[in-house]
Amino acid sequence: MPEREGGLGAAVRSFFKRKYTNVEAVKNVTFNIAQGEVVGFLGPNGAGKTTTLKMLSGLLHPTAGRADVLGYTPWERKNDFLRAMTLVMGQRNRLSWDIPAADSFLLNQAVYRLSNDDYQRTLAELDDLLELAPIMRKPVRNLSLGERMKCELAAGLLHRPKVLFLDEPTIGLDLTAQARIRGFLREYNRRTGATILLTSHYMADVVALCERVIIIHHGQLKYDGSLTGLTRRIAPVKLIGLALLNGAANGLERYGTVVPNESSDGKLFVQVPAGEVAAVTARMLSDLPVQDLTIEDPPIETVIERAFNE
Amino acid sequence: MTAMLRIYQRLWQVNWAEQWQYRANLLMYLLYWMVSPIVYLAVWTAVANSQGSVGGLTANDFATYYLTLLLVDVLTSEITIHILGYKVQEGSLSVDLLKPMHPVLTSTLVYNLAFKALTLLVLVPVWVVLALLVQPDFSAVTLGNLLLAVPAVMLGFGISFVLGATVTCLAFWTTRIYSISEFYWALAVLFSGQFVPLELMPGALRPIAEALPFQLLKYFPIQLILGRAAPETILPNFMLGMAWLVAGLAVFLVVWKAGVKRYSAVGA
Repeated sequence: MPEREGGLGAAVRSFFKRKYTNVEAVKNVTFNIAQGEVVGFLGPNGAGKTTTLKMLSGLLHPTAGRADVLGYTPWERKNDFLRAMTLVMGQRNRLSWDIPAADSFLLNQAVYRLSNDDYQRTLAELDDLLELAPIMRKPVRNLSLGERMKCELAAGLLHRPKVLFLDEPTIGLDLTAQARIRGFLREYNRRTGATILLTSHYMADVVALCERVIIIHHGQLKYDGSLTGLTRRIAPVKLIGLALLNGAANGLERYGTVVPNESSDGKLFVQVPAGEVAAVTARMLSDLPVQDLTIEDPPIETVIERAFNE
Repeated sequence: MTAMLRIYQRLWQVNWAEQWQYRANLLMYLLYWMVSPIVYLAVWTAVANSQGSVGGLTANDFATYYLTLLLVDVLTSEITIHILGYKVQEGSLSVDLLKPMHPVLTSTLVYNLAFKALTLLVLVPVWVVLALLVQPDFSAVTLGNLLLAVPAVMLGFGISFVLGATVTCLAFWTTRIYSISEFYWALAVLFSGQFVPLELMPGALRPIAEALPFQLLKYFPIQLILGRAAPETILPNFMLGMAWLVAGLAVFLVVWKAGVKRYSAVGA
């Protein structure tokens, strides 16, 4: 990619001589996904998530390596492959802005060669899950972000793809809309057995949908396995939450690391190694005026952040 | 085949519906389209009036020529660069590439046709008013001429579409696509018979203009409509047009394939 220093002199110099650097966006990332799996694809900004999704959906031609999606090499972009998968990008429109989504749906019916019966059946199903009827006849530009995303998803799924690549499908949506899209994806996966690979910055998406996560950072694979396994590996600790009768919080350090509580429920949290939970809990119950005690996993955000930085 | 026809039909519906939204845009294009032929019409008829004729062409010859050009120009021209150029540059072409169809030979083509239809809808009444003002003598136009011009106009549009699409494909390699396109347009204006009818071109330039594809977009169909094409030039011009169309399409397909490969290498 081109690069140059700031300033007028550098601008003039770059007119005559451009400087390019090679950036390896993704390197040696290897994984297999079985049919019907829902996999979260995680990593900080610039980690190579979107690049990987674009390779798998045929938009990017890698300099080296191999990919196989449903038996096709994606970047050959065979029509049968394009008809069997979808890539939905939360930050990019595939619907025409000035006309109702219903018109774009009809165009998709022709483009993906769907019979009237199949089209009507799938549309009815999507309408059932996403409540499209009230919004699909309005010009897309008049829809709210959440409404638009519903229509984008419907447009991407009308041809009942077997593989879904979803790049930030809930970005910018409010909590209710996020939850609805999540519920929809879970139900879609259950009904159709479709395979889903999704990126998201919202851990709630990942926790709700994915049993398995793949983490990449600087274009390289960091972790591939279950979410619970990730917690065990990256942060083999538990949080003991305490509500004490007299509110006395002194001396908790002797049980473990005291973790600040950001909510206002007055609970105190102590982080202890997972193997010592039973012993520490027993000591606490005998030493302290405990009103309530909980044992929790650390928040997934913390775990993922630690995985990124590992 | 039926599946393809259905795609074209739905594309037409979408594009037609969509383009009605852009009224201001349409008017701007229309003005752009009309200004230069009307200026040339005014200049050349004034010159012909003062001298009696220019190179054998009378004021009426110029008036009929440029009024016909106004319509032929809309029929055979294309706006592919405005449909596709920015998509390549800003990356929204990705959305088109995900669909199982050739984006240029389907949606861009239909966009051009829908735009043409809409432009004509507005242009024709304006043209009638202009014709009433200038009052040219169109008595040389016959039904036979018009019928002969139909395939010539279709061929002209086909050629201009594949050439325009090929030029637009350069956007895969350079971000300065619009300056290249301006140069292409300048060549087209010069050699298509828009700036000056081909018979008035300087001796050395005329054979070049006759061999280039641009005259097939405007000059040749106009000559057919006005009954001025020499009979012995008609068949060779149709054959020349077919050759340019086939060659243009072949070049376009090669450039497109290379362009998409490059696009997909640098970050779609």
